[in-house]
Amino acid sequence: MGAAMVPVWAVASQRVKRVVTSRYVPLVALGAAYSFLVMMLNVPIPDGTSAHAVGAVLIAVLLGPWAAVIAVSVALLIQALFFGDGGVLAYGANAFNMAFVMPMVGYGVYRALARGASLTARRRAIAAGVGGFVGINVAAFVAAVEFGLQPELFTAADGTPLYAPFHLAQSIPAMMLAHLTVAGPVEFALTAGIVAYLQRANLAILRINHPGLPALGGGGLRLRPILIGLAGIVALTPLGLLATGTAFGEDGPDELNLHKYDLSSVPHGLQRYSDFWSHSVLGGYGFASGEHPVVGYLLSAVTGIGLIALVVSAILLAVRRLSAPGAGRVA
Amino acid sequence: MSAAGGRTPRWLLEAQPGLCPCGCVGRRSRRGFLDATLAGAAKVRGEALLGEEAAERPGRLQRLDARAKLVAALALIVAVALARSVAVLATVAVLAPALAVATRIEVARFLRRVWLVVPLFTGLIALPATLSVITPGDMVLPLGHPFGSELGVTAQGLQGAALIVLRVGASVSIATLLALSTPWPALLAALRSLRAPRAFVLVAGMAYRYLFVLLGVVEDMYVARKARGAGTANRGIAGARAGRASVSAAAATLFARAYGMADDVHLAMVARGWRGDARTLRPGALPRIDLLYAVAAILFALLAIGADHALA
Repeated sequence: MGAAMVPVWAVASQRVKRVVTSRYVPLVALGAAYSFLVMMLNVPIPDGTSAHAVGAVLIAVLLGPWAAVIAVSVALLIQALFFGDGGVLAYGANAFNMAFVMPMVGYGVYRALARGASLTARRRAIAAGVGGFVGINVAAFVAAVEFGLQPELFTAADGTPLYAPFHLAQSIPAMMLAHLTVAGPVEFALTAGIVAYLQRANLAILRINHPGLPALGGGGLRLRPILIGLAGIVALTPLGLLATGTAFGEDGPDELNLHKYDLSSVPHGLQRYSDFWSHSVLGGYGFASGEHPVVGYLLSAVTGIGLIALVVSAILLAVRRLSAPGAGRVA
Repeated sequence: MSAAGGRTPRWLLEAQPGLCPCGCVGRRSRRGFLDATLAGAAKVRGEALLGEEAAERPGRLQRLDARAKLVAALALIVAVALARSVAVLATVAVLAPALAVATRIEVARFLRRVWLVVPLFTGLIALPATLSVITPGDMVLPLGHPFGSELGVTAQGLQGAALIVLRVGASVSIATLLALSTPWPALLAALRSLRAPRAFVLVAGMAYRYLFVLLGVVEDMYVARKARGAGTANRGIAGARAGRASVSAAAATLFARAYGMADDVHLAMVARGWRGDARTLRPGALPRIDLLYAVAAILFALLAIGADHALA
C-alpha cells in the first residue's frame, strides 16, 4: 500500500508547489498540524459521548484536494511515529485510505453537489458535509476490503489467519455499520458546520480554494428533497424481497425456463461464465450466511451506492480537470 | 470584617452541599466534549514532553545515531510483520521492555503506552475472531447455543487473535522504543539521510513544531468556553447540537489562525532568505560502533525470521 502512495505523493507535491510556490512548505506544514488537531477534536453526539472526525474532506474543501493529501499524510506520520498510534507498516495503507481516497472522493462529491452554488449558499455547506460523509464511508469500505482480503491472502498452513482474521463478508458489514451510523454523520456535521461558520464569519478563508466565486446569488437546485427521496429509495430496496418469482436469468442458468425458449439444455457459453461471478462480496445481496436478509439487502444497497458515488465522482473530477480552462491547474 | 449592617448575611453561615470537583456529590454527568478534548490535548503535551525528556537521558539507545536506530527499527518491524509463530513474536514483545530498562526509559510508562493501548484497540477487534462463528475449529470454551448453532471459543481462534495482538504489540513496542529514545529533529534528519523527500521532511518538522502552537490555541479557546459556563449546555440532543456548532466554530477559527500563521511564517522565512528550496544539515559520518549496532539488529531480525521458519 505504501508503494501505491509514492506516485500519489509525488503528483500531490508537484501540483501544490505549482500553485503556491514558496509558500508551499509553511502552508502545508500548518495544514498538517491543523489536520492532526482536527483528528483530536471531540465532536459531541446525542448519546452524551463524543467521537472524532478525520477532517480530510474539510481540508480538501479549504486548501484543495492535493494539499489535503500531503497534510493528512504528514499528520498520520506524526501519529504513527511519535505517538505510536497505528502501526508503522500500516502507514501506507492508512495514508492510502484516509489521505488519498477520502479527500479525493469527498472533494469530488462536494464539487459535483456544489456546482453553480454561490460561496455563501447553504447548498455549499451541505455539499461539503455530504462530501465528508461519502468520503469517510468509501475510505472505510476500502479499508474493510483491505482487511477482508488478508485472510484470503495470508494464512498459515493450518488455516490460521496471520493478519486480520475477518473475511470480506464480515469486515465490510462491521466497518460500514460503524461508519454509516456514527463516523459518517460526525464527519458530515463537522465538515458542514465549519463551512457554514466560515460562510457567516470568515468568507476570506473560503476564497482561498474558491477564487472568483460570487458570494451571493446562485443557489437554484434544492438539494434536500433530492437527498430525502434518494434515502427513501434506498430504504425501500428490501421491498424487492417481497416479490415472487425471479428476474429473468438474473441468478443463474438453472432458473431459466428452458422450454419457453425451445432450448434443450443451458447454452454452453452461459454455463461456463455463470460461475465466474460467484465469489462476489455480498453474494445474493446479503451476508454469506444468509442471515438477516433485510439488513444485508440494505447494506448491499448502501455499499453499491457508495461504489457508484466513487466511480461517478472520479469521472466528474477527471472531466472537470480536462475541460477546465488552463487544464492541469489546481482549482 | 462584617457586612455594612454589622452582621454576616445568613446565606454565608448556612451549610450548603459542597460542589465537589470529583463529582461525588450531586448528579454525575459523562465527560463532555470540552473536557474530552482538553484531556486529549494534555495527553499529547504530556507524551511529547516525557518523550523529549526520555530522549535526553544518557541511556544506551539514546546515545546511538538516529540513522542506525531507524534502520534497526525498520528491520525489526519487517521481521515482526513476516513472523508467523507466537513464540518469536512473544520473544520480541518481552525483549522490548527489557531494552527499555537497559536504556533508562521507565518501564512502567513504556508498558502502559504499549500494552494498555494495543489490547484495547487491536484486542477488541480480534476478540470476535476467537468465536467459532468466525474461526471454526476445536472448541475450548463452549458458550451454549444462543442462535441455534453451537457457539464457543476455539483454539484456532485464540491462536489467531494471539498472533494479531502480539504482532501489533511487538511492532508498536519497537516504534515506541525508537520514538522515546530519539528526539524528533534527529529522527527527521535520519529520515532525510535515508532519502525521504526533502520537502516532506521539512514539512513534517514544521508541522510538529506548529502542532504545539495550535494546540495552545485550542486549549485557550476551550478553557475560555468552559469558564463561560458551557457545562450545562451539554445534555440531550439540543445540547449535542449546540456542542457541535461550538466545535465547528472552534475548528473554523483554528483554521483561520493556522492560515494566518502560515502567511506570517512564510514572510519571516522569506525575510531570512528562503527561496522555496529546502536545505538540511549534512549529517556527519556514521560512527563505527553505531554501524555495528545496526548490523547486529539486522542480524537479529534475520535470526528471528529464520527461527520463525523453523518453528512454523
